[in-house]
Amino acid sequence: MELKNKKLSMDEFLRIRQEVLKQWPTGEGIDLEANVAYLKQIPEHKSFPAKLRWAKENGITLAQPRAGVALIEEHIELLNFLDKEGGADLLPSTIDSYTRQNKYNECERGITESRREGRSLLNGFPGVNHGVHGCKKVFEAVNLPLQARHGTPDARLLSEIIHAAGWTSNEGGGISYNIPYAKKVSLEKTITDWQYCDRLVGYYEEQGISINREPFGPLTGTLVPPSMSNAVAIIEALLAAEQGVKNITVGYGQCGNIVQDVAAIRALEEQCNEYLTAFGYKNVYLTTVFHQWMGGFPQDESKAFGVISLGAIAASLAGATKVIVKTPHEAYGVPTKEANAQGIRTTKMVLNLLREQKLPLSVQQINESRMIKAETQCIIDKVLELGDGDLAVGTVRGFEAGVLDIPFAPSVYNAGKMMPARDNDGAIRYLDFGNIPFSDDIKAFNRNKLEERAEFEGREVDFKMTIDDVYAVSKGNLIGRPEVETEAAKSIKKYLYKTE
Amino acid sequence: MTNTVVLGVIGADCHAVGNKILDYAFSKAGFNVVNIGVLSSQEEFISAAEETGAKAMIISSLYGHGEIDCRGLREKCDEAGLNDMLLYVGGNLVVGKRDWDEVKQKFLAMGFNRVYPPGSDPEQGIRDLRDDLKLPKPE
Repeated sequence: MELKNKKLSMDEFLRIRQEVLKQWPTGEGIDLEANVAYLKQIPEHKSFPAKLRWAKENGITLAQPRAGVALIEEHIELLNFLDKEGGADLLPSTIDSYTRQNKYNECERGITESRREGRSLLNGFPGVNHGVHGCKKVFEAVNLPLQARHGTPDARLLSEIIHAAGWTSNEGGGISYNIPYAKKVSLEKTITDWQYCDRLVGYYEEQGISINREPFGPLTGTLVPPSMSNAVAIIEALLAAEQGVKNITVGYGQCGNIVQDVAAIRALEEQCNEYLTAFGYKNVYLTTVFHQWMGGFPQDESKAFGVISLGAIAASLAGATKVIVKTPHEAYGVPTKEANAQGIRTTKMVLNLLREQKLPLSVQQINESRMIKAETQCIIDKVLELGDGDLAVGTVRGFEAGVLDIPFAPSVYNAGKMMPARDNDGAIRYLDFGNIPFSDDIKAFNRNKLEERAEFEGREVDFKMTIDDVYAVSKGNLIGRPEVETEAAKSIKKYLYKTE
Repeated sequence: MTNTVVLGVIGADCHAVGNKILDYAFSKAGFNVVNIGVLSSQEEFISAAEETGAKAMIISSLYGHGEIDCRGLREKCDEAGLNDMLLYVGGNLVVGKRDWDEVKQKFLAMGFNRVYPPGSDPEQGIRDLRDDLKLPKPE
């Protein structure tokens, strides 16, 4: 089938669906009409779109953790703990990495071993293996809206199962769950597969059931310039809207400079609404999600709370509809439920303190927002041009041409030519433009910003800055200054600058 | 070649940042790095070692499934005739924050030569590898 940004007909959708449901035995017998009946009786307090709407209308930023373990009973216990002890406003089910690669046999082994050892050997909840029955059991045992959060290039069966089980939100997209999460899966394939996931949600919308979709904003979570992640989020929102999705949450990963973070979220929401209108998609309810720092964390738990708090501040001041919360165990991987609840409580305390406060618009913020929008528009315009007006085709060609380019991504379909670094205020700028199609003004702005830093640090603008910045937060600073004399900084400097 | 190493992230793990940095650090230190990248199976590590004559495998696992993914690798190396293969592993090797000594012993028992906790300095691995391969100290 030829890739095109066009709504799948019901016939096409049902034809693909027959194959999708055969991918694993738990797909058998999933019945759309029965699902509609089940979804219609979900109470409002467990509907994701309803809770997001309430939050947006009341100017509240909701807190949502990430969490998932191998077994159903433990998973329920974990989620209820995060609700009761953490005060989570929305619940996740983070899906394990084998499911993300559609390795359901490996999941089965992980489930068996987790049962035998009495601890989770999987890093998330294997939703496909547990099937509609298992996912429903989880949904019915919790008291908040439930969302699948994952990183699955082909999430068609997973999406079928979770929505059938009453989970009214799904994270992901054809770009954001491919480029940062896969090595050799083509964009044609993932965009097509996510058109299916979106069409499924579009089908439910047609039946009067609202389901939320959330493109994954932070991408690699490693120094992604805001305009690049905003461009991807807007493209995925438009692709979803084409398939009939009406409730979309666009996301953004914290950069660390407050002015840039606030400007980025505001630019994202405004510009995404502008594009939705320009493309003729009416009645799409748009909200935003701010991800607390997605890069490397300090190992020291007290320092980690500092990073978490800064994320909560930026999310609140930006007026994001929700914030995805990190934990003090971030440097070590999957957190305990206690550590996870601590992260939520820290975040909610900051959100509460800032609830009535607004950050007055400053010249810096207006300029930053304007710059992010101008950069984003350059990227999206070029993508549309490359696709002869078709956004899906343009996205594939855009990655081929390096017009869309995500730093530090594992995918072979990503050019990897663009390189970012922080400026002297810690905002993320483009160091090497690769093939990003910016105007001369925009290029000059980025270059000048980095030259300011280079001058301050007494070194050249180059890739060394990028490497220093990748490690800076985990070593205790936002900007990777050359004079930071931690052991790791010394060793990296030794390799990079050939000094002792 | 005595200074050839296979580098990669094992299993269904797609953490690419550290992989790119390790590639950079080991290459700079003079090793011939065969980087098979993220999402690499045990079989891919072994065939890369067979094809290149590598003496060591530098394996990363950041996502917690390291315990399942690494099991049996030593036996598979032996079966393939890669008898003295140096196996280094590092990262967030198990699910959750657990006692490091316990984790280390678990991996040593699985036949790994060196086991590194999260946040390890690439230089430590490079020093150890030079010792284990009996390579001369750099200038």
